[in-house]
Amino acid sequence: MPEFDLDSFKKTWQEQPVQQKYGSSEILQMLNKKSRNYVKYIFWISAAEFLFFTLIGLFYIIQGKEANSFLNILDKLGVQKTPELELTFDNIYLVLKILSLLVTAYFVYRFYLNYKGIKVEENLKNFILKIIQFKKTVNAFILINIALLVTFTSIFTVFIVYILNTQNIEITNATLVGFIAGTVISTVFTVLMVWLYYRVVYGIIIKKLDRNLTQLKEIESQEI
Amino acid sequence: MPSFITPALASKEKEFAQLIKDNQGLIIKVSRLYTNSLEDEEDLFQEIVLQLWRSYDSFKGNSKISTWMYRVALNTAITLFRKKSKSLPTNELDINHADFIEDDDDKQQQVSLLYTVIKTLPNVERAIVMMYLDDLPYKDIAENLGITEVNARVKMNRLKKTLKEQMEKYA
Repeated sequence: MPEFDLDSFKKTWQEQPVQQKYGSSEILQMLNKKSRNYVKYIFWISAAEFLFFTLIGLFYIIQGKEANSFLNILDKLGVQKTPELELTFDNIYLVLKILSLLVTAYFVYRFYLNYKGIKVEENLKNFILKIIQFKKTVNAFILINIALLVTFTSIFTVFIVYILNTQNIEITNATLVGFIAGTVISTVFTVLMVWLYYRVVYGIIIKKLDRNLTQLKEIESQEI
Repeated sequence: MPSFITPALASKEKEFAQLIKDNQGLIIKVSRLYTNSLEDEEDLFQEIVLQLWRSYDSFKGNSKISTWMYRVALNTAITLFRKKSKSLPTNELDINHADFIEDDDDKQQQVSLLYTVIKTLPNVERAIVMMYLDDLPYKDIAENLGITEVNARVKMNRLKKTLKEQMEKYA
C-alpha cells in the first residue's frame, strides 16, 4: 500500500457504500421492544389471571364446592348446619369473592394505564420514573393479594368462632389446637405459594425491567 | 392485540423512523465498529435506535442531527456493549482482514481494513477516529465523549500515527 494518510482517506470513508438494511416499518418495530414489552407482558398476565380467577370463582359459586368443604369443617367441629348459617356463609363468601375480583380488576386497569403511559412517554427521565412507578404498582398488587388472603382466612376463622359461640358448642382442647394449627399452617403455606407464584411469574419480568432500568440510568448519566 | 398508539404518537414515531431510515448509515457504521459478529451488530443497531427514540424529545432542535446521533450511538455502544466490543488483539488482524477481501473494489478493501484496524483500538479512541473521519469538529467530538477539546486533538494526532503504521503494515 502506498503511504496511508487518514486525512486524505476521509472522503473514501464518507463515501463508503453502506447497505440500507432497515425500512421504516422495521425501525418502528424496534421501538416496541424491551421494557415496554415487559410492561405489556405483566399487563397481559394480570389480565389472564383476572379472567382465570373470575372463571374459577363463577365455577365454584355455581358448584358450591368450596362452600361445602368449608361447611364440612364446621360439621366436624360439631356445628349444626342450619339454612340461616348457610345463607350467612354464602353471603360472606360472595362479598369476599367480589371484593377480591374487584381488587384484581382495579390492578388490571392500573397495569393498563401504566402500559399506556409508558407507550406515550418518550423522555428518558420520565421513562425511568414510569418504570419505577410500574414496579411499585406490581409490588402493591402482590402485597394486597397476600393481605387479602390473610384477611379472608381471618374472617372465616372469626366466623367459625362466632358460630361456635352462638351454638354454645364446647370443643375439646385437642380439637381447638388442631383447628388453629390447621388454619395457621394452611394459611402460611398458601401465602408462601402465592408469594412464590408472584416471585416466579412477575419476578422474572421485573428482573429484566431492572436490568433495563440500570442501563437506562447509565445512559442518562453519560449524557448529562 | 389492541393497539394503544395515539395519532399524535403515531405521526411522531413515523417522523422518527424516517429520520433513522435516512441516517442509518451512521448507526450501521457505529454498530459495525463496536461488534465482532453480524448478530451483535444487529443487536447494537436496535439498542441504539431505542436509545435515540428515548432521547428524541430532548434532542429536537437542540443540536445537529449527526452530533446527537453520534453522542447517543457511541454512548450506547461504549456503555452497553462494553463486553462485546472488546478490542481485537492485533494478532487477529490477518484473520479478520481475510473476511473482507471479497470486496472487489480496492477502496472498499482499504475501508474494510481500516475498520479492522480501528477495532483494535480502545472504545473511546474508536469513537474519536470515527467522528474525525466523518468530519465532526473537535468541539463536538470532545463534547460527545466528555473530554476536553485539547485532549481530543492530542489523542487524534497520536491515533493518526498509530493508524498509519497499522494500515501500512497490514496492507
